[in-house]
Amino acid sequence: MGKTKISIDYTKCGEKGKVDPRNCAKCLKACDPAIFIMHEAVDAELDPIDPQLWRVTPYWTSLCTRCMKCVEACPEHAITVKW
Amino acid sequence: MNAKNYSNELADRLNLQEYLTEQWRFFETVYIRKIMGISSKDLGYKMKMPIIGRLLRWSAENMIHSESKRRNPVRADGHFGQVVPLEDAKIILGSLAAEPIIENYCMCRWMQRGIKELSCINFGVLSGVIEKLPRFIPKDTKLRLDREEAIERLEEHNRKGYVASVWFQPVPYINAICSCETPECCGLRLRNDFGLMTVYKAEYVMKIDVDKCQVCLSCIPRCQFGARRYVPSLKRITVDPSKCFGCGVCRHVCRHDALSLVPREEVPGLKGQY
Repeated sequence: MGKTKISIDYTKCGEKGKVDPRNCAKCLKACDPAIFIMHEAVDAELDPIDPQLWRVTPYWTSLCTRCMKCVEACPEHAITVKW
Repeated sequence: MNAKNYSNELADRLNLQEYLTEQWRFFETVYIRKIMGISSKDLGYKMKMPIIGRLLRWSAENMIHSESKRRNPVRADGHFGQVVPLEDAKIILGSLAAEPIIENYCMCRWMQRGIKELSCINFGVLSGVIEKLPRFIPKDTKLRLDREEAIERLEEHNRKGYVASVWFQPVPYINAICSCETPECCGLRLRNDFGLMTVYKAEYVMKIDVDKCQVCLSCIPRCQFGARRYVPSLKRITVDPSKCFGCGVCRHVCRHDALSLVPREEVPGLKGQY
């Protein structure tokens, strides 16, 4: 199997979008092999004690089974999976 | 089990207050940060590359087991663990763990599932560090636990099916007993999916008493490591000893007392296989 490319549109979700992934987290829960990671936005972050800007990164992409559950689960249609 | 590894004196000597504060302030970004220009994103693909892959694996192993003085707190330097059965975890919490003992949110489950669940028991210097970081601690629940309460909570998690594991952070200082699950636990993920030695197997391995086992199959879905299966031709359950981590979680659902842990060192083929 070739490489899977998963991308998230951060203008829809994350520190610049209107959805805070901490409240949504639907993609994290939908994924059976749990390939997404939610973390504080490294470049934009100002407050390391109680960070408020978070984003989701498709991380363990080599374990993706291309089931498309994350694409279906995302209420903002921000996720695309390509291969 | 060496009491020295749990002591506050050791933490002071290694100046860990500062180190752990730095590490935990940025805990969720530990994967995202670039190390020598390479982040571990898409690690599976990167480790498959011919020469670079082997180099990456080697440097990751070195990082995980690092005892060097120049450890970097924003990486997981010297941070690895071992699975422990409930009995051993009780001994650790009952006598070895340094006060104060706290229970905070599992940060792996938070990172990978967006779920905040109280299941990590931390002790010693680390407790004081975590108490200051609002995202890891519950608002209205009691945070500090005495030894009995901690044991009670751990047993509760263990019965639910979570695997107890004890963690160096950083080696040789031990300051946490987690209740992990596959695949959310970052340590178990690196071990099971990528073969990195972030979590070692317990000192035990599971044995099934075939005469007592009624083949009710209730233990099979309990295994976090896929180590047991029902073999139709034999009409019995088998354990794959190379996969069994010896966590003992499956015992909680056995109604026929058929499951027991035997020391790993007593099984010739498993000697030294952690």
